Amino acid sequence: MQRQHTFWNPYLAGVALGAVLLTSLLVAGKGLGASGAVARFVVALTDVVAPAHAATNPLMGPVLAGEGSPLSTYLVFLMLGMLLGGAASAFAAGRQSIEVVRGPRISIPWRLGLALSGGVMMGFAARLARGCTSGQALSGGALLSAGSWIFMLSMFAGGYAVAVLVRRQWR
Amino acid sequence: MILPLDDLLLHRWPQWGLVVAVLVGIGFGFVLERAGFGRATKLAAQFYGHDMTVLKVMFGAIVTASLGSVVAAGLGLIDLGELATHVTSWTYLGPMIAGGVLLGVGFIIAGYCPGTSVVAAASGNVDGLVTFVGVGLGCLLYAELYPLIEPFANSGNLHHLFLYDLLPVSPAVTAAAVAVLAAGAFLAADVAERTFSARYGLEVEAWRSAAGPRWITFGSFAVLAVAGLALSAGVRAGDGPAEQPSAGGSMAAAVIGQEALARRVVEEPWTLRVLDLRDREACGERRIPGAECVPLETLGELGLAYAPPDVDLVLVAEGPLDQVPPAAREFRGDVFVLDGGFTGWERFALTAPDPPDAPAGSPLWQRYRIRSGIYSALTGVQQAPPPPAPTATFVPPPPSGGGGCG
Repeated sequence: MQRQHTFWNPYLAGVALGAVLLTSLLVAGKGLGASGAVARFVVALTDVVAPAHAATNPLMGPVLAGEGSPLSTYLVFLMLGMLLGGAASAFAAGRQSIEVVRGPRISIPWRLGLALSGGVMMGFAARLARGCTSGQALSGGALLSAGSWIFMLSMFAGGYAVAVLVRRQWR
Repeated sequence: MILPLDDLLLHRWPQWGLVVAVLVGIGFGFVLERAGFGRATKLAAQFYGHDMTVLKVMFGAIVTASLGSVVAAGLGLIDLGELATHVTSWTYLGPMIAGGVLLGVGFIIAGYCPGTSVVAAASGNVDGLVTFVGVGLGCLLYAELYPLIEPFANSGNLHHLFLYDLLPVSPAVTAAAVAVLAAGAFLAADVAERTFSARYGLEVEAWRSAAGPRWITFGSFAVLAVAGLALSAGVRAGDGPAEQPSAGGSMAAAVIGQEALARRVVEEPWTLRVLDLRDREACGERRIPGAECVPLETLGELGLAYAPPDVDLVLVAEGPLDQVPPAAREFRGDVFVLDGGFTGWERFALTAPDPPDAPAGSPLWQRYRIRSGIYSALTGVQQAPPPPAPTATFVPPPPSGGGGCG
């Protein structure tokens, strides 16, 4: 299959993403999100590895004390769908392949090291801000929450401020 | 009224919500991948100016969904205020600035945000999978360090706060203004893309610089914005007095008439909670029988979001009140404002009623009885001393949303 690097026009992709978000809001009464599901995975894993520790943690304990599994929430199942939808789209476009996406001037170990450190920062930041790009910026932003807009502007500010330092990774 | 499908189907088939979640997730993942967000180089380009797809997709989605939800509220499909308070988190000023900056830094270092790392992993990109693992570790780190950062993490709590609370306009106008700003940002982004691409010796591919999709998108924004404005104006004009029970966001407040309130105060006071928002002195002097003196600035301390919602809340200001104050919007039951405020009430209740010239048993006599009851309660010497000022300090429980290790 021909490998494609052509994506949807950004304007139309935006409207399509808005339609998905609107569906989630109107039909399920919930926003989109990603970091919330990650948080639930972490609670579930910690509960398996160190149940006593998880139960006494001020954030994990209440989740575990609640009814049912920490994984039976909207966001966890949303993420399951994201994996399916993302894989289907990549496969249909011939973009499905095991690779490390990186700029021309960076080695694979460096790229993966940076990916891990950036991920750790985002995991921490998303909990502090009560959501990430999907839950806080996108969903909260669409419902015009002041905190979401503050978060979003801060996010772009942070990204632009540091972009010049990691330029080597991408260009 | 809110979430019609969810409410209806959850009771018949509890798994429905999770099936919807998977279906919505498939759409979410598919669109993100099609936008190019499964590849870190595409996402990172946003921060170097030559490809602003991230900005366009994100703000395009926000505008579409916010105008769409305003239209849905105008059509009566949802209660926008209820949806917004249900879905969004409280605003924590410091934590959201710090979290936003840190997330932006993490974004450009990792090349993905948490959601797009899932899509990247799904399309086989190892760096996406590694980012996803990192997000999990960061989340764990937060939970472990939480006792240390707890004071900061919960600082600057402004509770539910929306852009239209800060502006003297309705949600529909705010959403339309955001759409106009976004369209301006998109045009600026198009210019930036051409400028920076030329600087790096790249070209802006035709499929993303084509004018057609841009104008189609702007056109749909315009149609949705006009529909939202027209419908929300219609909703407001159609508000009947004392009908329209709505905990209603910042939609026009539901109004209760003086006589309707008087009747309920006399006949079924247990179905009401009357809050007098005037300053304590004025309220202490004269108030509607049974009213609590809660000056407007202390309204937030009542914790109305957690108050039993089985009574109707009636807000009494000095004069007419055309919007429900933010602190009362969180009340889960019905909120009314008194028509004409206390001034109107005094005019109604302080004029001694004349006995009607009608046969006994006529509804006019009942009306007279209520009016004279109110009249004596307000003017009579037997008036009870004012109730003590509410002093209970209320500590709200942490909001339930978000879950997990934060």
